[in-house]
Amino acid sequence: MTERINTIISNLNLDTTELVCEALDNIIKLENLSQEEKILLTEALTAIFYHHDFGDTNDLERLIIRTEKLIGNFGIDVLPFLIEELINADSESAAYLGKCISFSEVKGIEAILAAWEEHDGDDFAIINIIQALASFTVPEVSKAAPKLIASTRSNSPHVKAMALSTIGVLSLNISMDKLDDKVRKSMFNAVFSLLGDRKPLVRQNAVKTLGKMHKKAILTRDQEGKVHSSFTAMLGKDGEHNWDREFIVRHEIEHYIQLFTPKKTLADRYKQSFLILNKHELCHNTFHYEVEAPFIAKKIKPGQFIIVRHSTQSERIPLSVCGWDAEKGSIQIIINSVGKTSTEINNLKPGNKFADMVGPLGVRSRVTKYNGTCVVIGGGYGVGAIIPTARELKAIGNRVIGVIGARSKNLLLMVEELKSACDEVIITTNDGSEGMTGFVTTALEEIMNRETVEHVLAIGPVPMMEAVSNMTREKKIETYVSLNAIMVDGTGMCGACRVTIGGKVKFACIDGPDFNGHKVDFGELVKRQKMFVNEEKRAFEALEI
Amino acid sequence: MREKRTLNLTNKERMNLPHQEMILMEAEERVCSFDEVPIGYNHEQAVMEASRCLQCRKPECIKACPVGIDIPAFIRLIEQGKPADAAKKIRETNFLPAACGRVCPQDKQCQAVCVVGRRNLPVGIGDLERYAADYERKYKTLEYPDIPEDTGKKIAIVGSGPAGLSAAYELRIRGHQVVVFEAFHRAGGVLIYGIPRFRLPIDIIDEDIKFLENIGVEFVYNMIIGKILSLDDLLGEEGFDAAFIGTGAGLPRLLDVPGANANGVYSANEYLTRIYLMEADKFPEFATPLYQGKKVAVIGAGNTAMDSMRTAKRLGADVTCYYRRSIEEAPARSEELKHAQQEMINWKWLSNPVEFITNEDNFITHIKCEIMELSEPDDSGRRIPVATGKFFTDECDTVVMSLGCSVNPILPATDREIKINDWGVITVDGETCETSKKGVFAGGDAITGGSTVILAMGQAKIAAASIHDFLMGKTKDKEEESLEMV
Repeated sequence: MTERINTIISNLNLDTTELVCEALDNIIKLENLSQEEKILLTEALTAIFYHHDFGDTNDLERLIIRTEKLIGNFGIDVLPFLIEELINADSESAAYLGKCISFSEVKGIEAILAAWEEHDGDDFAIINIIQALASFTVPEVSKAAPKLIASTRSNSPHVKAMALSTIGVLSLNISMDKLDDKVRKSMFNAVFSLLGDRKPLVRQNAVKTLGKMHKKAILTRDQEGKVHSSFTAMLGKDGEHNWDREFIVRHEIEHYIQLFTPKKTLADRYKQSFLILNKHELCHNTFHYEVEAPFIAKKIKPGQFIIVRHSTQSERIPLSVCGWDAEKGSIQIIINSVGKTSTEINNLKPGNKFADMVGPLGVRSRVTKYNGTCVVIGGGYGVGAIIPTARELKAIGNRVIGVIGARSKNLLLMVEELKSACDEVIITTNDGSEGMTGFVTTALEEIMNRETVEHVLAIGPVPMMEAVSNMTREKKIETYVSLNAIMVDGTGMCGACRVTIGGKVKFACIDGPDFNGHKVDFGELVKRQKMFVNEEKRAFEALEI
Repeated sequence: MREKRTLNLTNKERMNLPHQEMILMEAEERVCSFDEVPIGYNHEQAVMEASRCLQCRKPECIKACPVGIDIPAFIRLIEQGKPADAAKKIRETNFLPAACGRVCPQDKQCQAVCVVGRRNLPVGIGDLERYAADYERKYKTLEYPDIPEDTGKKIAIVGSGPAGLSAAYELRIRGHQVVVFEAFHRAGGVLIYGIPRFRLPIDIIDEDIKFLENIGVEFVYNMIIGKILSLDDLLGEEGFDAAFIGTGAGLPRLLDVPGANANGVYSANEYLTRIYLMEADKFPEFATPLYQGKKVAVIGAGNTAMDSMRTAKRLGADVTCYYRRSIEEAPARSEELKHAQQEMINWKWLSNPVEFITNEDNFITHIKCEIMELSEPDDSGRRIPVATGKFFTDECDTVVMSLGCSVNPILPATDREIKINDWGVITVDGETCETSKKGVFAGGDAITGGSTVILAMGQAKIAAASIHDFLMGKTKDKEEESLEMV
């Protein structure tokens, strides 16, 4: 029975390419091979993998490809033999053997995984096994993913490097879309973390693998960014001094980083960073921020406001804007710690970013030329909000008097800024520690007594705005107040900010925030502002614990 | 020649096959969580339900579908046990199958005209669509479409709701560069802020957005077009060649009765946005607060009202629906109404709220309603609710007004060239969806004043085709011009 193969096998041992080729041709012609015969043939054929010292390289390559295919077609009958060979082979032969095994597709993967179990701890065998996996192109090879990921944490740098290289090859060959998102993610993380490995060999392979993953476009945008910035740093181009000292690693990076040149997308232009450029304390618990938001800075007008969400779990809160610099692309806001959200914001530092900022929202303040005096009144940290309007009123030729009200001297803020925006500024404090003793209405009354007031804008606590409106009502002086109602979206979508103006329901976010103070139902506003008072207390208490 | 059917049955036998009901979570169990209510068909059920389809030669269902899905074809693939191919078939015309299978009013569209429905219950087209889409998601069989070479045209999409997303998709697969501008911090529009997770799990939307990103649609958040950039900015300085408006119907209608501004009285938009967009149900971990008492009154009986009721129920309230007509006139999808009924909502039909009674702190304590009765049908067959002069008062501490929406006014208000009608609805050319401003098209609730996801998608599709013609036609003009100049 085995007669017919004996001659062929002896021919295989002859050291010329022609004779070996002839032997291969003869093997292909054989029919009905038994398992025993297949194993004998395989044994003889695999010998070709080991001595590659004949013929020119092109011939040899062709020969090996033919041999691989021939053995591969013997199928599962010779699998145990091939696996046995694999775990003892040198690395080059291991690659050929892996190719042979890969012809058995799923069965081959199963056999390899079983061998992996069996030889766990034998690094030599494991390296060959991992290398063999790289030959597979069927999606089932993803079954090996968990073990591959585990091998990236091996003690042996060689095992790590081989695992990385196989992950890289597999990324190119099989559709990673078929992999579970979690597996894909942990695979990326495993590879990415090895960029910081101690051994240059491992780092070099990690670079290659990430490069291949990127080439196959399987990295998310976030991952892409991480890889790109690590590569930049390792080349020493990030201005820090943690560049990779090994030439081979940098050389590899230089090759792959070209693929990473970030695609300039249309949308990039519109992505505002909301980065805090500056922060300083105005008075106790009250901070002034300058934030990068170029598009808002370009469009915002006095009286308009923004909505801010400082973190992805935060609520959306409306804020007035106390200044902006369109050229620099920044806006300025004031935040006073009163509850959970404002306290959290005041923990942010320059260099931190707000998660979201939307604006400019609402309708701009009324700015026109008056014959009489304009009085702008700011109570508490409402002072910030009146500055842009005051500045613009003055710019078109109005006489503008600013009035600031605070409980005490140490709570006064933005005085100099307001002075630069007005012809005159009057300060009032309840305790008389600075300026006039009393309330802003005390100052307003004095102004009304001495000159003709034609326009009043008041921004601050509701009782203050109400008191101002009451004072000007009889004299029919145009009075605007800015209503800080509770809001969610700021675009008119939810109606949380509804206020009653002259008996009609208006939305502060799109119809306001400025309204005729003589028509506002202040009582309702105060009560509506207390809608979530219990919830806010609960959140604040939770924060303090 | 038509392929042979898998099951060799006569049409009569098919019509008599039992309709398959999706397995639902038990009502007691589901009111304790925001998990999705129907678990969906299993394979056998799906094949059985698909076998009920008669494969009509002139299918009415396709005509009744606003985007014209080849319904018999995808059903046949399910019957043949090829759900992945079925999903692919649906995707030829509708790229949001998982969402549409869940939220489309099939009983008013495709299933309303299903021939099987004349004798038996109609084929569960929506449920089958959902089955195919879920199979595709579960086994990751989704294939990305080939994007043709860049046309060099840039299109701005305003709003990332169903209309905006569809327009973005349709334009992108024609090779244009597309940027979607969204006002919120998250894409999806009403699918995110207005449709509860137990009806449409949020992962589905996120996957669809990811899909669009992967085919090259770009998203920008926190941008309110009209405020931060005007349409003129987009079409001028920013260099976009066309724009699509899909800003939706974001302006809630409210009752004009005493106490409508009481604390604890929400619009459905606010109520649902707080919970679903801002995740107030996880307060204080998520910082957006929600004031909700023990007794919640929901006014209205549309889909959004059902969503609000079932949401309130899940937050532990005793929920009552107040509607001035009777159950027959309730505009909600029949499935939603059925699910709400299973979830132990109280119903006060023919009850018209006339006053919200508050305490001294402006918090709502009672709702006062007038009892209505229905008139005889008028010429159009509609029965009008008529006041009876009889009133009743119920205790309640939260009210959700779900009375529909008007069109959001921000964009039209900032561009005079965009014409709107008396109701604030943007007027468009019926055939092309082009607005009165050149190069600006619109679709969805912004041009209907409030309708369905699928109708918005249908209009967006039309608009996208017109934009494509507009842009590519323009190129031709330019070429001709340059020829003339030579």
